[in-house]
Order: sequence, then C-alpha cells, then structure tokens
Amino acid sequence: MLNFKIHSNEIDKIGNFTKEEKDFRLKNLKYFNDTGFPNKKNEDWKFSDLKEIVSKNFNKLDIKSLKSEKPKIDFINDFEHNYIVITNGELTLSNFKYEEKSKVKLKSFINDNYSGKKENNPLVNLNHALSDKGYFLEVKENYKFKKILVIYYLFTEDLNENILNSKNKIVIGKNSEIHLLDYLINVSKKNFFNNVYEDVILGSSARLKNIYLQKDKSSGYFHKYSKNRLSAGANFSSFIFPTGLKFNKLDLEFNLEGENCECNLQSASFLSQQEHQEIKTRINHFYPNCKSYQKVKNVLNEDSKGVYQGKIFVKDEAQKTDAYQLSKAILLGERSEFDSKPELEIYADDVKCSHGSTSGSLDKDSIYYLMTRGLTKIESTKLLVNGFLNEVIDSIKSDSIRNFIKTKLEEQLLNEYKKH
Amino acid sequence: MLEIKNLNASINNKEILKGLNISIKPGELHAIMGPNGSGKSTLANVLSGKEGYKISGELKYQGKSLKEISIDERAQKGIFLAFQYPTEIPGVNTSNFLRTSLNKIRKAQGKKELDALSFLKIIKEKSNELGMDEKMLLRQLNVGFSGGEKKKNEILQMKILDPSLIILDETDSGLDIDALRIVADGVNSSRNKQKSFLVITHYQRLLNFIKPDYVHVLADGKIVKSGTKELAIELEKTGYKGIN
Ligand SMILES: Nc1ncnc2c1ncn2[C@@H]1O[C@H](COP(=O)(O)OP(=O)(O)OP(=O)(O)O)[C@@H](O)[C@H]1O
Ligand SMILES: [Mg+2]
Repeated sequence: MLNFKIHSNEIDKIGNFTKEEKDFRLKNLKYFNDTGFPNKKNEDWKFSDLKEIVSKNFNKLDIKSLKSEKPKIDFINDFEHNYIVITNGELTLSNFKYEEKSKVKLKSFINDNYSGKKENNPLVNLNHALSDKGYFLEVKENYKFKKILVIYYLFTEDLNENILNSKNKIVIGKNSEIHLLDYLINVSKKNFFNNVYEDVILGSSARLKNIYLQKDKSSGYFHKYSKNRLSAGANFSSFIFPTGLKFNKLDLEFNLEGENCECNLQSASFLSQQEHQEIKTRINHFYPNCKSYQKVKNVLNEDSKGVYQGKIFVKDEAQKTDAYQLSKAILLGERSEFDSKPELEIYADDVKCSHGSTSGSLDKDSIYYLMTRGLTKIESTKLLVNGFLNEVIDSIKSDSIRNFIKTKLEEQLLNEYKKH
Repeated sequence: MLEIKNLNASINNKEILKGLNISIKPGELHAIMGPNGSGKSTLANVLSGKEGYKISGELKYQGKSLKEISIDERAQKGIFLAFQYPTEIPGVNTSNFLRTSLNKIRKAQGKKELDALSFLKIIKEKSNELGMDEKMLLRQLNVGFSGGEKKKNEILQMKILDPSLIILDETDSGLDIDALRIVADGVNSSRNKQKSFLVITHYQRLLNFIKPDYVHVLADGKIVKSGTKELAIELEKTGYKGIN
C-alpha cells in the first residue's frame, strides 16, 4: 500500500461544514496528499520511516468512522478516580463524582481553530483534514481536582485496518490543578492506525500531571502530536510508560509562554519484537526563569527500535533558563537499535543547558556482582532492567498510583521474560 | 574445603596466575598478601567463577571440581566473595536485593524461603551489629555509598548469606580504625569449624584483629612463601623485596 491518497469527497462524508472549516480541511488534505506518509528523507522522520512501516503492515487504511456500541470496560479498582471513556477516539462516557460539577466542562469536540499556518507534519495535515471526533475538557479557574481523572482510551475489536483521526483539547484554568492518567485499553486484534492531535493549554500557575500507560500489548500504530502551552508559573509533568504498541510516535511540543514555568517529562519503555517507538520533543523557552527537564529511558529487546529526538530552543530574552535532557538506553537484543538526536538552539547567554545520551548493553560487572550473590543471569538481567525503569516510576508521588503502574509494568515485563 | 593445584589463569593473553597451589581445610583462615598486580583479585575472581579467564589446573571445592560450575551456582553452594571494589547498582533497592539473594540461596540449599518480616528481623540485627544505618538499606545498592560503607555492606551480605567459603578481597582497605574493628569482629564471630576464609590484605594490622592460621605471599602469580602470622610481621619489616 505505497500510495495512500484520499479523495476530497471523503470530507463530505464526515459531515456538513462551514465554508471556513471545509476550506481548512481541503487545504490540509492537499498538503497530505502531496507528500503522503512521511519517509526517512523527511528530517523529522529520519529514524521512523512511516511510509515503509505503513506499506509493510497495511493492505488498506479505512477512513470511515465506526459506530461503536456502548463499551464494556475493566475499570481500575486500585484507587478512587473520576473517569472519561473515549471509544475509538469518541467521547462515550464520563463520571466526575468526586468533583464540583460547575468547575468542569466536558464535551465532544471536533475542532475550533481553522486558521494557522501550514503544519510541517503530514500526519497533522491528515488529522486536520479528517478529524471527526475527540473531546474538549476544561477545568475552570481556581479549582484543584480532588481525585485523579482516568481517561480510558478504548480501542474495540471491530477495528481492522482503520485509521482514526481525533482531536482533543484540554484547558486548565488559572491556579487550577488536575492529574490525568491516560490509560489505553486495546482489544483489537487487527492492525489499525490512530492519529491524534492534542492541544493543551495551562493558564497561569496551573498544574497538570499526566501519566500515559497501556494496559497491554496491541497491534496499534499510533501517532500523537501534542501542543502544550504554559502560561506564567504553570507546571506540567508527564510520565510516559508506553509498552507494546507496534508503532508509536509521540511528537510533543511545549511552549513556555510566561516566566517561571516548569515542564517535566520522563519516560520509561520496554520494547520488544519489532516494536518501534519514537519520542520527539521540542521545548520552546520563550520567557526567562523557566525550567525544563527531560529524561527518556528505553530498554530494547529483540528487534525493537527506540528513538529520541529532543530539541531545546531558548529565545534570546529567555535568560536564566534551566534546561536538562538525558536519554539512556539498554540494548538487550543484538538487533535492537536506539537512535537519539539531541538538539540545542540557544540565543540567550545566561542559561544552564545540559544534555546527554548513553546507550549500550547491560553492565557486565553488575551482572557478575548479582550472580555472585546467587541470582541467575536472567534474574540479574531482570533486576537490572526493572531497576533502570523503576527510577522513573519511583518519582510518581502517589503510592496507590505508583504501585498500580509498577504492577502493570511488571506484569508486562514478566510476560516478556516468559517468552525466553 | 578448597583445594587448588597448579592453577594457571590468563585473560586477554596475559598470564596472571602461574601455577598456584593452596589448600584450605574447614575452619581455617588463610591470609594472602602480595604486591599490587600480583594476581590476588584474579584468584578471588576465578574462585567466584567470573567469566573470561582461560584456566588450567585443579580447582576443588568440598571435594568436587568447580569446572563448569557457574557463578550463581557457586554462590548457592556457599562460596562468597566480598569485592575489593563493590559494584554500584542503580535502581536496585539494597534490602530487596538482599532478600532476593538470601531466598535464592536458601532455596537452592533446600531451606525454607524467608518472609518479609523474618527477613527484616535478621537484617535489622545484622546491620546493627555492623553499626550500619538501617536507612542505608533503603537506598540503591552501593550507589553513593562511601568506600567504608560499601565494604560494610559486603560484610553484611556475608553475615546474612551464611556461606561456607568466604573470600575477602581487601575488605580492610579504606576502613577507619573503628570500622576495621567492627568488620573484624564480624568476621571473628562468623568463624567456626565449618567455615573457611581466604583473606586478601595488604596490612598486617588486620591480622592483629583477625588471627590467621596461615599467611601466604602471592607474587607474580604464585605462592612464593607460606607461614604463620609471624610471616606477616616479618613482611611488614622487610617488604616483599626482602623475601625469597
Ligand atoms: N582483564 C584484564 N586484562 C588484562 N590484564 C588484566 C586484566 N585483569 C587483570 N589484569 C592484570 O593482571 C594483574 C593482576 O591483577 P589483580 O587485580 O589480580 O592484582 P591484585 O594482586 O589484586 O592487585 P592489587 O593489590 O592492586 O589489588 C595486573 O597486572 C592486572 O593489570
Ligand atoms: Mg586486588
């Protein structure tokens, strides 16, 4: 399936749109059709040749949207939480029983912004052209969520070589705070593509903590572009624990649009078989006295591939910027691969910026040490891998949520080791 | 307990041990002294089963050849090596690790595994004996431990795992006077008729605290002189050049 082109009448099938919206969609459809899925000649995709990946794994990509039944969900019992259920991209259920209803707004959403310059990411163009579902979540000003909000992203069994395009928008009002758990449950057995565009806006001194986790392995091919805007004093932390998607690219942009913002991103992944995952970040320090921190850890088993492209941009007036970036990878598989491309573009002179990247096999001396204490080679490897990844998990403050995540990830790892 | 005959070991085409003989009976404590680079740590590594060496000669533990026995099996059979430079292992909690290790060894020896509570009791008692801050056990294994703390942690493991053949590779180096005494007490209180010790050290001082049955001098890959603790005192005066 090398040439994936979409006819403009597909847009009419999605719905009736105002002229403005329709023009926006047509324009973006043209952008996409001009390039198709990006290949490695595109600098942003040089480690993730999506054209090749799609051609290899899909015979077709169906863009018509599915009408799914009311989903059955295994709700998490480990801790009290509010929830939203998103089924194949569409908002289907919600419950905010722990919160003041007047402080939260939630609705189905397609798009509210038809302007903007041309985006250089063909997947964003595709999303702009075809998005037909999504949600809008707003936390009003001066409100602190009492319990975490779990967003169950459910992917159903009837998915079969579909491509889903959805758009979400999250607005956290001034001085407000929310913790989110993006929890992906995927029961589809067939390959499908999920293409998400997300806008996140944090008002001044707002706080957002976000955890991204998958319940189990699946045959999903995911791309998410997420644009995060932080006003003065806002604080964003994200913990990303992706496991078991066939392909996953997270393209995350953070715009620090006021003083004293802080952006914190940590990720721990264990990939195996032919899984391919890229985390690409761009942190734009536009104002002084902001902090950004990124730590990306990968364990790569078998033929898997991990990619990290992290760019830090510091504008000339963004003095006293403190930006940190580190990626570490352990290669377990002889054919596994890790690529990293850090990039610093700094125009201010009074800044603290550091970056580092290491990758290699497990430390032999550590394995030797553990084995002299009676552990087998596999047990030693397991302990070291868990230790490597746990460092990120351990920085989650809530005990119940941390334990939940730990248990989930350990289950997944155990399944991996059982295979050998 | 341990029978080494004509042991040769080389790594990366460098011959390090060149026909080493030593025999240790149950209950005995042997000290090995010798110049830097003479092969003491190599001997300790080879006994632990470390991979990468080309080995010839005879290596018998409790009457059976150690050839083909892997590192972890040797540990399970009661061989314990306290490292000269204990490895820092990030992300691995010291106490959890110790419990995993102990239960692994107990299981291999046909003993019952310990539950968290009984383990806690043991580790509390032993770490107190060694004057270790219990909080250290919540930290990552050896990470950021001071030199002396690392050595104490090795002795703690020795006490908890209760091995039969104990090899201490310069455990006394880097210890302050009080710590040295505590570690020596730890060793002395572990001594009994069933256990054997091979203590590698540079300092006669340690042997004032831990009384060896035999002292050997290892130079250029073999034992060049053996004697009792008087040999250590003599060495202190003459240095290695004075012997032979
Ligand atoms: N992997 C290796 N490759 C090459 N040479 C090695 C290797 N390991 C050890 N050696 C060499 O073998 C010799 C013996 O080393 P070993 O560590 O056993 O000495 P040692 O007696 O313990 O010394 P020290 O008292 O300084 O601890 C040294 O010359 C050392 O450089
Ligand atoms: Mg040595």
